[in-house]
Amino acid sequence: MFSKPHVEAPRNRREFLESSGMGFGSLALTGLLSQAEAAPSQFHSQTGQKPHHRPRAKNVIFLFMEGGPSHIDLFDPKPLLNKLAGQSLPDSFGDILTAAGESRSPLLVSKRKWKQHGEAGTWVSDWLPEIATCVDDIAVIRSCWADGLNHSSSICQMNTCSLIGGRPSLGSWVTYGLGSENRNLPSFVVMQDNRSQVTNGPRNWGTGFMPAVYQGIQLREGKQPIPNLNNPEGITDQRQRTKLSLLKSLNQEFTDQHSRQTELEARIASYELAFRMQAEAPEAVDLSQETAATQKLYGMDQEETSSFGRLCLMSRRLVERGVRFVQLYHGAGSKWDAHSGIESNHTKHCKTMDRPVAGLINDLKQRGLLDDTLVVWGGEFGRTPMSEKGNGRDHNPTGFTMWMAGGGIKGGQTIGTTDELGLRAIEDRMHVHDLHASILHLLGLDRMKLVYEYNGRPERPTINEGEFQPKLVTG
Amino acid sequence: MLNTFKNIVCIPVVFLLMLSSAHAAGLSPEEIQFFEKEVRPLLSEHCWSCHGEKEQKGDLRLDTRGHTLLGGESGKSIIPGKPDESLLIEAIRYESYEMPPAGKLKAEQIKVLEKWVSLGAPWPGADDTVPVRKDHGPRFTDKDRSWWAIQPLQDVTVPKPVAGDWCRNEIDRFLLSESEQQGLKPAPEASRASLIRRVYFDLHGLPPTPEEVQEFLNDQSPAAYERLVDRLLDSPRYGERWARHWLDVVRFADSDGYRADGYRPEAWRYRDYVIRSLNEDKPYNQFVQEQLAGDELFPDNVDALIATGFLTHGIYEWNSRDVAGQWNIMLNELTDTVGDVFLGVGMQCARCHDHKFDPILQKDYFQLRAFFEQILIPSHQVAATPQQLEKHRLEMAAWEQATAEIRKEITAIEAPYRENAKAVTKSFPPNIQAMIAKPVEERSPREQQLVTLGWRQVEHNYKELDRKLKPDDKEKVLALRRRLSTFDKLKPAPLPVAQQVRDVGPVAPKTTIPKKRTECEPGFLAIFDQPAADYYGSKQTDTTGRRTALARWITQESNPLSTRVIVNRIWQYHFGKGLAPHSSDFGRLGGPPAHPELLDWLTRRFLDDDWRFKNLHRLIVNSATYRQSTQHPQEQAMLAIDPENKYYWCADTRRLDAEQIRDSILAVTGQLNLQAGGPGVAASVPRRSMYLRMMRNSSDPLLEVFDLPRFFTSVPARDTTTSPVQSLQLFNSQQMLRFADQLTKRAYAESTADSDEAQEDAALHRAWEIVFGRPVTKAELSVAKEFLNRQSMLLSEQETTVNLQQQETATMPYRTGQSVVFRADKPSPFYVANDKGLNTENCTIEVFFQIQSVYESGAVRTLVSKWSGAVSEPGWLFGVTGRGSRRKPQTLVFRSFGRNSDGKVGDAIIFSDQHIEFNTPYYAAVSFHVSDEHAGTIDFYLKDLSNDDEQLSRITKKHEVTQVSENDLPIAFGQMVRNRQSFFDGLIDDVRLSSQALDVQSLLFTQESVLKNTLGYWKFDPVPGMFQDSSTRQYHLTQSDRMISAGSPRREAFVDLCHILLNSNEFFYVH
Repeated sequence: MFSKPHVEAPRNRREFLESSGMGFGSLALTGLLSQAEAAPSQFHSQTGQKPHHRPRAKNVIFLFMEGGPSHIDLFDPKPLLNKLAGQSLPDSFGDILTAAGESRSPLLVSKRKWKQHGEAGTWVSDWLPEIATCVDDIAVIRSCWADGLNHSSSICQMNTCSLIGGRPSLGSWVTYGLGSENRNLPSFVVMQDNRSQVTNGPRNWGTGFMPAVYQGIQLREGKQPIPNLNNPEGITDQRQRTKLSLLKSLNQEFTDQHSRQTELEARIASYELAFRMQAEAPEAVDLSQETAATQKLYGMDQEETSSFGRLCLMSRRLVERGVRFVQLYHGAGSKWDAHSGIESNHTKHCKTMDRPVAGLINDLKQRGLLDDTLVVWGGEFGRTPMSEKGNGRDHNPTGFTMWMAGGGIKGGQTIGTTDELGLRAIEDRMHVHDLHASILHLLGLDRMKLVYEYNGRPERPTINEGEFQPKLVTG
Repeated sequence: MLNTFKNIVCIPVVFLLMLSSAHAAGLSPEEIQFFEKEVRPLLSEHCWSCHGEKEQKGDLRLDTRGHTLLGGESGKSIIPGKPDESLLIEAIRYESYEMPPAGKLKAEQIKVLEKWVSLGAPWPGADDTVPVRKDHGPRFTDKDRSWWAIQPLQDVTVPKPVAGDWCRNEIDRFLLSESEQQGLKPAPEASRASLIRRVYFDLHGLPPTPEEVQEFLNDQSPAAYERLVDRLLDSPRYGERWARHWLDVVRFADSDGYRADGYRPEAWRYRDYVIRSLNEDKPYNQFVQEQLAGDELFPDNVDALIATGFLTHGIYEWNSRDVAGQWNIMLNELTDTVGDVFLGVGMQCARCHDHKFDPILQKDYFQLRAFFEQILIPSHQVAATPQQLEKHRLEMAAWEQATAEIRKEITAIEAPYRENAKAVTKSFPPNIQAMIAKPVEERSPREQQLVTLGWRQVEHNYKELDRKLKPDDKEKVLALRRRLSTFDKLKPAPLPVAQQVRDVGPVAPKTTIPKKRTECEPGFLAIFDQPAADYYGSKQTDTTGRRTALARWITQESNPLSTRVIVNRIWQYHFGKGLAPHSSDFGRLGGPPAHPELLDWLTRRFLDDDWRFKNLHRLIVNSATYRQSTQHPQEQAMLAIDPENKYYWCADTRRLDAEQIRDSILAVTGQLNLQAGGPGVAASVPRRSMYLRMMRNSSDPLLEVFDLPRFFTSVPARDTTTSPVQSLQLFNSQQMLRFADQLTKRAYAESTADSDEAQEDAALHRAWEIVFGRPVTKAELSVAKEFLNRQSMLLSEQETTVNLQQQETATMPYRTGQSVVFRADKPSPFYVANDKGLNTENCTIEVFFQIQSVYESGAVRTLVSKWSGAVSEPGWLFGVTGRGSRRKPQTLVFRSFGRNSDGKVGDAIIFSDQHIEFNTPYYAAVSFHVSDEHAGTIDFYLKDLSNDDEQLSRITKKHEVTQVSENDLPIAFGQMVRNRQSFFDGLIDDVRLSSQALDVQSLLFTQESVLKNTLGYWKFDPVPGMFQDSSTRQYHLTQSDRMISAGSPRREAFVDLCHILLNSNEFFYVH
């Protein structure tokens, strides 16, 4: 109702009803979960709620390695680094700015053993033996770059394209652009591997200036995957049902008196929807339905990999059920942030992540889901060739690696390069804007046609920047 | 007064570029070959896809020599013969632009183009066609100049509608005459009960009490409503409600944003200033002038100084080493906000390019920014007049003299730590370090700004000094401070500190359009053609006067934008929609106003009325238009004509916003505390939502779910969304059940009767009056009774269960899930019954916590204990010491009884010496070794969850216990058993107890799981259950004084009924 009539859901609902002559029955579902679905072309005239071109992917699983994994120890070997280890960065690299200010600290040797894998001969270090077996499905992008120096702004950018808060996240744009395929589950889901808060907290999956209906919903494993989903402790179903029925009768009376306000119907429906979620959401995250073999594939049989394995398996179950965008944080709370002791830090985090992620790719593939599901892996930035505190590496946004698999990606290729020390991306550079533009493109969305009008400005997901990188699909 | 509207005579300036006709003819074969073989392929492969015939990014073509010379938006791309001055060469060197964007060219390729330019850019076959393009100067069209929002206010005559009797004032005459033409008829006036509710929510943001409703209904005089309106406008509640709207627009928050989201302890003074200003009906022009240039215009007015806080509410990243980059972001953010707030035009679009739809140039953006280019945001700035400062200085003299010696000693001890605190500047870029090293007088204005900004990081470290002090030094400092405090009586009251702005000096740094290198002076939108120079005041020695000039321009009556913008905002908040649809965008995309004459008439009236809001409110809410019912007898017919209610033929039913919802719940449950002003409080305090700490990264779940913005950018209007997440929050959260319980208590307390049955009846009636402001209807009464019968029957068949509704929970910052709220004044008993297995020798106790206060004495706020505090019942305790602890105030302590190495029984009190800050989330652990190779040591671990830069700290100490005594006591959380001097105050999240002294790798901080040696792991989450132990040993929690439900199913059913009322649409919507 407030002053943005052309973006306001209720107003649009009304317009929708008035113009389409459809009854409240269909409207009832236009809450959080399936708003997009029930929305006809007037709803968001700019997007039409359908792809702009033929999509290659339907869903995204974004594996976010929070804190910034070291590309030069995982996917981007730099022989020169070990040759020059102990010396300062050569002057030819010019001035650089680092978060911790150790730009002239000695270069830190990479202790990794490197091998080429798969038919394509993709380089992967010994820290990721399992993902290494999947490289023929993976396009490694060695030439990513971003603008932020610190976690907060960089994570904000990797989620929203902007260093400063206030813009919608990629998942929100996708939800806005494509809607959900499942009425009883949120269309944009966020999960994390531990209970620390992800840097920046919920605004990473927030909607910025868009209405809250497009925001990510945090999901957890267990009987109550969504906050407040279950009855309060000690209150029986029967007691709840009597209450609900009284609520409905009171609400219906008020609604009948104010029939022009269609939100009132939607609010009645939202209670019904809430209780349908109560039935469906726990099923979606119930891993006991999976076979032992599947569980093993994700590393659920081992203590170290079990926790992230469960989340990866849940991700598959969710996309299977039509969830559009899964954002899965590994190392929530910047746990990959190896300013010191990179050996022990990365050994541990690679170990807990490697098997589950490989399991996810293999499982998606064997079920035929990989064609429709784009898997994206990476952090908010990479790490410096220079050392920090003697045995760690600082943040490096000027050159780092991400990879993509499935969803139309041509696997078995390595795109782009960094300089000889892995400090800066130099060839086929892909800025965060390009990454987002490419992800959107694969989903059939054109970054310039996906428009949300706010404050009279046509706002677009990549702030009018960025290009799709065609090599992702052509090689 | 200047005339705002000069028509601009603007001839598009066209310049012709003359090419030497001799060019093509004079090329040597080598030049031709060089171009064809080396240059053309390069240009073709790397440039032409974006700068060719099909696409001209940045208005630049590089596929002919003429176009290359002409250049693009950023100017000429090459200067033949001068590669170092050519933009093209800079761009491929990645010095300014970074071209091509996909990756830098190889060094030899760059050399080719350098050579080509130095040869004079030979281009075989280049003809002498002259490319023509309009210059980038103002080039406004007639359409631009006829943009409605920049036209002067029209002199409009109030129309005379046919059914004039209906009208109460001019607003009605405007709207009725238009709606009559559409064939519409106004709805009847709303009922009195609806009206009072509507106007209360509108002007106060709160529901009326049943007594207030009754009084209004009883007042039969014709002016009853107008009197009610006057009373509401005179109440301090008015300012509290309407300040909320303004704070939305100016993106006010109490925190920094970004990761650390640091609390801004003085931000609230601005919030209180806004409330104060509205309550005293300060004219809007003065209000604006104070916020933009209070320091320049009203230096003797403390409120005006606080008002400049407006310029400081943007987000700030406390550890950004890119000082210059951050400053640039901050100035741009401020420019965006000023455009949104005062001008209602999308300046943001023009940051990168001329506005595509509105006549706003990129230059306009930077001219607007130039008004702020020179600002300085000093920290810890006292808000006081020079006179007050002088008085304070004199009053301080006695104290300063008396304490000089002590302070000198403290300074001496702290000196090396302060020196260390400066080390952070070594992480800054070399140029910033050089600026810091310069004497103040040698710094340029820009350098001074950057040093001030960068220095905040040092000041941040100064604040953390206490944590860094070595134990010996800390004890000395504490002793000195105690001595210092004995002189406090000599000290005058401290002056208030507020976030403020002033100019860096009388000279401003340059404002430059990025990449174009065009310098900009302060200036208004070019389409107005008004020189800023006309608006400056007399020259001042310490300030530029730029902001004064802007403030004067914005607040002159003839400014068509700023005046309409504010009046439209007021209308929007009253009706839920503006007369112009986008209150912060009057541009072409925002759409034209629906009733332009009314907007102009109202604006004129507002200006004539001295820019005051209260009369404008009066005019609006007293109008017949405002007083209409939401229901119309011929609704279908009216809907067919005007489905969107563009002509205001009835009132709209509107959902309350987040703050109104929370405040209403607190009000009807009798919890609301109307204390006004002061620092923001946590959401658990039942004060108006206006006074909550607004943290950008974490907000109260109830507010958030009802579309509370995050305040990163200016918010012109709230969203209203409907989602199942709201329903879940309202229907299933413990919080709402607690509110239902409180409502029940209130309804019963406020109704008396002889019998139980009559009392229930009375309470029912009362509940309806409280929640809906109206009597219960007969039909509702019978439905409610039937519900109570059924529900109480159902409940009497069930076993009575623990009433968990009393337990308050919250989310700890930087954590997810639920934590327990412990209050020192209202302790929550949480026990694990004793068990043999819980008496352990080596042990690790781990806990996530956030503490709000410590005891003034030395008493310990307990985290976890197995002790009563009595020496006769030896046990152990882990907690935080009080301020008065002689040895170690405000630090972690572990106390344990047992047999010492000398064979005697005694206790070991070990302090961690790690300073514990208030309202900061921590992970803390104590790992206690009695046997094994580390016997006799204890490790304290502490991690500030809000500070990524700080690692997990570990302090190892020695102790003499060789055998811990056993006892029969339960383990108690947040207190010691039967001890009233031990209560925790704050949040406690996960607690884990292990039967081994864990090493770093196994700590809960990194391993959130049940390990082999885990004795108990309590998460306080709904899953597996708030009182459940997650470990295999199943040591579940109990509350010793269990709150068994009152034993009356009937009363329980009434709570359920109240819960339903608090979930109902009628409660959430105003009509």
